[in-house]
Amino acid sequence: MGHVSQTALLRTVVPCCGTLALLLLATSLVLSGRDSSAQSGNPGPPIRVPSNVAWTDETIAIASGGNAFRGLLLARRCNHCHGKEGFSSNPAFPNLAGDDRLSFWKQMQDFRSGKRISPLMQGIADGLTAHDSADLAAYYSMLPTTSDPQDRRAFPQAKIWDPLRARIAIRLIVFGDGQRGIPPCQSCHGPVGYVKGAPRLANQNGGYLQEQLEHFANGDRTNDINMRMRSIAGQMTEDEKTMVSECYGAGLGPGVNPR
Amino acid sequence: MKKKIQFVAAITLVALALLSTRYYMVDLPVWHFFGGGQGPDPTTLHLRGEFVESNLGAAEGPAGSLTMRMIAQQYLFVPQCIVVPAGVPVHFRVTSADAVHLLSFLGTDYGLKAVPGAVTEATFTFDKPGSFKIPCHEFCGVGHSAMRGQLEVVPRDQFASLLPGERRTCGPR
Repeated sequence: MGHVSQTALLRTVVPCCGTLALLLLATSLVLSGRDSSAQSGNPGPPIRVPSNVAWTDETIAIASGGNAFRGLLLARRCNHCHGKEGFSSNPAFPNLAGDDRLSFWKQMQDFRSGKRISPLMQGIADGLTAHDSADLAAYYSMLPTTSDPQDRRAFPQAKIWDPLRARIAIRLIVFGDGQRGIPPCQSCHGPVGYVKGAPRLANQNGGYLQEQLEHFANGDRTNDINMRMRSIAGQMTEDEKTMVSECYGAGLGPGVNPR
Repeated sequence: MKKKIQFVAAITLVALALLSTRYYMVDLPVWHFFGGGQGPDPTTLHLRGEFVESNLGAAEGPAGSLTMRMIAQQYLFVPQCIVVPAGVPVHFRVTSADAVHLLSFLGTDYGLKAVPGAVTEATFTFDKPGSFKIPCHEFCGVGHSAMRGQLEVVPRDQFASLLPGERRTCGPR
C-alpha cells in the first residue's frame, strides 16, 4: 500500500515542480528583457571612462606576476628622478620604494593611455609594455621601505612638526569624517585595509601627496576608478589636505616601520 | 482561558507595533537566486554599461520619470550627494563594486541594499524637503563607520527638468 501511495504522491508532485520551474523561467526571462530595454531606451551622455584598467583576474595576474630582477635592470632609467633606492628628493616625484604592485602597474597603464596626464611620464611609459611595467612593479615593491636610521633620505621633505596639526591629521587618517563622507585613509591605503589599485601611503613624500589631492579635487586628475578619490578630495578642506600630506610626508602616518 | 486571552492580546500588540514601523528595506528579489537577475560585472562598472561615471545621478526618462543610478563601494557612495524633487517618485537603480552595502535614508522610511553583480531597483517618493544622510547600514569593511552619502530633497519647483543627456547630482563630477 505504501508503495502505491508513494507513486501517487510522485505523480502529483512532479508536474507541480515542472510548472513551478516553468513559471520561474518565464519570470526571469520577462525580467531580463525588461532590464535590457530600460538600458537601451535611455540615451545617456557621452561615456567617460576614468581608466582602461579593470581588476579582472587576467589583469591581476599580469600586474602581480612581474620579474623583479628584470625590473632592477629597467629601473636604471627611473633612478634619476625617483631616487636610487626608490626615495625621491623632489616633491614633484613620488617615492616608489615599497609601492603596491597593482597600484604601480595601473598608473603606468594610465600614463600610456593618457588617462592620467603627465607629459614627462607619458613619454617614458610609452616605451614600456604591460610586462615591463609589471617587472618594475615587482622590483619597487621589494625595495625596503626604511632606509639607514643614520640619514633622513626616506623623508626628505619632513617639516618641523606641530603636534596639534598632527593630531587632526591622524584623526582623519585613522577615523575619517563620517559627517562629510570622508572614509579613513588607512582603510584603503594600508596598513589596516587595502583596496585593489590603492597605493601605500606610509612612505610617500608629502609634497607629492598634497599636489595629487589638489589635482583630484579640482579635476585635473581623473583616473580613479568609480570617482573614489575625486569624491573624497572634493570633501577635504585645503588645510586638511596639507595636514594629512605633511603627516605622511614626515613619516608619522600609520604603517611606517619604526626606525 | 484568561491566560489565552492575555497571550493573544500580547501577540496582537507586538504585531501592531511591528506593522506601525514603516521601514521599507528593499532587498534582492527572490528570482535573482534562480538565475534571473543578470547584473553588471562589479569589476568593469567604469568601462561599460549603465554605471559608467558619466551616467550616474538623476536622469529623466521619456515620460518625465526620474531614474537615479548609484554605485556603492568601499567606502563611499557615488555620487556622494544626490538631489531629488519632493513628492515625485524616483526610481533607484543601485549596484555595488565590491561588498554588500545598504543605503539607509535616515529620516525617511526607505532602505536599499546594494549587491555586487546585481542591480537592486525600487521606486521611492520623498515627501518633505530637506537634507538627509545616507549611512551604509551593512558592515562592509574597516571604513564602514565613515561611509555616508548625502540626499538633498528640494521643492518640486526648484528642481528644473533635465535635458535628455543630462545627469544631476550635488557632488563632485
